[in-house]
Amino acid sequence: MLPFIKTHPLQKIAQELRGDLLDIIYKNGGHIGGSLSSIDSIIAVYFSSLFDLKKDHFILSAGHLAPALYIVLAKAKYFPKNLLENYSSLDSLLQGHVSHNVPGVEYSSGSLGQGLSFACGLALGDRKHSTICLTSDGEHQEGQIWEAILFAKKYKLGNLINIVDFNGFQIDGSVSEIMPLDNLASKYIQFGWTVTTVDGHNFNQLISALKNAKKSDYPNCIIAKTVLGKGISFMENNFHYHDIKNLSENLYQKAKSEL
Amino acid sequence: MIINSIRQAFGETLAKLGKTNKNIYVVNADLKSPLFLNSFAKKFPHRFIECGVAETNAAGVAAGLAKTGKTVFLTSFACFSPAINWNTIKQSVCYNNVNVKIIGSHAGLLSTDLGATHQMLEDIALMRSLPNMEVFSPLDVLETEKIVKAITFSKKPAYLRLVRATTPNLLNPKLNFTIGKSHILKSGKNITIIGHGPILEEAFQVQAKLNLDDKYKKISLEIINCSSIKPLDNVTILKSVKKTGHLICLEDHQKNCGLGEAVASLVLSSNFPCKFIHLAVDNSFGRSAKTYQELYDYYGIGVNNLLTAVKKILLK
Repeated sequence: MLPFIKTHPLQKIAQELRGDLLDIIYKNGGHIGGSLSSIDSIIAVYFSSLFDLKKDHFILSAGHLAPALYIVLAKAKYFPKNLLENYSSLDSLLQGHVSHNVPGVEYSSGSLGQGLSFACGLALGDRKHSTICLTSDGEHQEGQIWEAILFAKKYKLGNLINIVDFNGFQIDGSVSEIMPLDNLASKYIQFGWTVTTVDGHNFNQLISALKNAKKSDYPNCIIAKTVLGKGISFMENNFHYHDIKNLSENLYQKAKSEL
Repeated sequence: MIINSIRQAFGETLAKLGKTNKNIYVVNADLKSPLFLNSFAKKFPHRFIECGVAETNAAGVAAGLAKTGKTVFLTSFACFSPAINWNTIKQSVCYNNVNVKIIGSHAGLLSTDLGATHQMLEDIALMRSLPNMEVFSPLDVLETEKIVKAITFSKKPAYLRLVRATTPNLLNPKLNFTIGKSHILKSGKNITIIGHGPILEEAFQVQAKLNLDDKYKKISLEIINCSSIKPLDNVTILKSVKKTGHLICLEDHQKNCGLGEAVASLVLSSNFPCKFIHLAVDNSFGRSAKTYQELYDYYGIGVNNLLTAVKKILLK
């Protein structure tokens, strides 16, 4: 007999939004692997009631994860859900990479490595509120990230939280093969940050880490260990699902049944 | 206080403005002293953010800070900012459309002894190409002060090109600076000379030489200071060219994608018949020398080169 595990209330939202994510990417194409790995972190930020996103800031540095953010924003009623249907089309407000013209989006991104610097500037200019940044693990190969990590420590940005969606993959393969980050947590610690490593699909762990991070005097890094393509068996840990153009009807139905 | 250089005028003006405008922030990349920012940093330590030798992060920090409502001056040498951090300026500043002023000092051959790596000759090209970005290159100390005030008032991203050397004052103190407007420094009938930065002084020297030459003493040059490179003052430029039919563009920058190409594109699209010579650095790297006049002669943009161009364009 399986042990009884109480599911977190946000789990239900996560399940629903993964379905929406699959639908819009099936229709329009897009970065599905990382969106499925990072969406739980974004849900935790928007729906845990730890933050007031009218005052606190959320910066998606890994701009290709736009589909995940758009779906969360639609769920949070920043814009009508039907806008999602033709995302990345010419007449759509929703650009393929995240755009500040979308209600609820504070920063346009797409070129990796820049968002953490922007988040540092926001955190410095608005110390009364939290700035939460979401970066990817592969993004840490960009030198600018390390410049920003130094900066956040120097300016004691205790109101800055960087969630790293650590799914272990990037476009061409695994992060450890392409350019290993080795022990990322120890690197952040060496740079003067507070670091928590969590299961990035466990809402109890995510929310607890965010709650602690909010109280910290030091810049905070939450390394969210996640699974690329989480929830769809044939996409999980398969870097070919970083970005998809066409998903067959058969695979779509299979994926849909798994969610 | 005696202000000798355009870069000094920048630093001193910002320190003055900082007293009344508490919204002004400086995000610096370890070049406080060369940009005369010691005074600003000392008076307003909380509004002086030091990023160290890390221009890409500095551009991103400046953009984020601007998003919180500040007017942010990102200060460095042009050979580093916008040269190293162009893509951060593109995405984090221009695409996000935040109020950051990129201050690129030590531009052009006027950084005489520093050589090719520091003589930034491509900054106008990099900045002109970006949507939302405005581009300015002051003529002298006085105009620098006016432009710094104008861009502080504006909420748009801007690039301000500064130079290192001590250069002459040319602007009539009564003239106001307006974004998108050029000044006719001297009106004339026969040839329009347009340029940006201190190099325009050469046009006055050439006019003086023409005045002493019996063959050319009736030739008058119309000298236009195009400190607002983007937006460009189409009306003033086209009106002058229509009158003179001869256009020489003079700049301490690469020919490629500098002011000359912007003006040539404007004039070609206007259907005014016009002869055109572009005097600029032609697809070359800079090099060290003791004076900038030596370098201007070496790269074919000195006073004598301009005089030759004036005579040549009349024969064309």
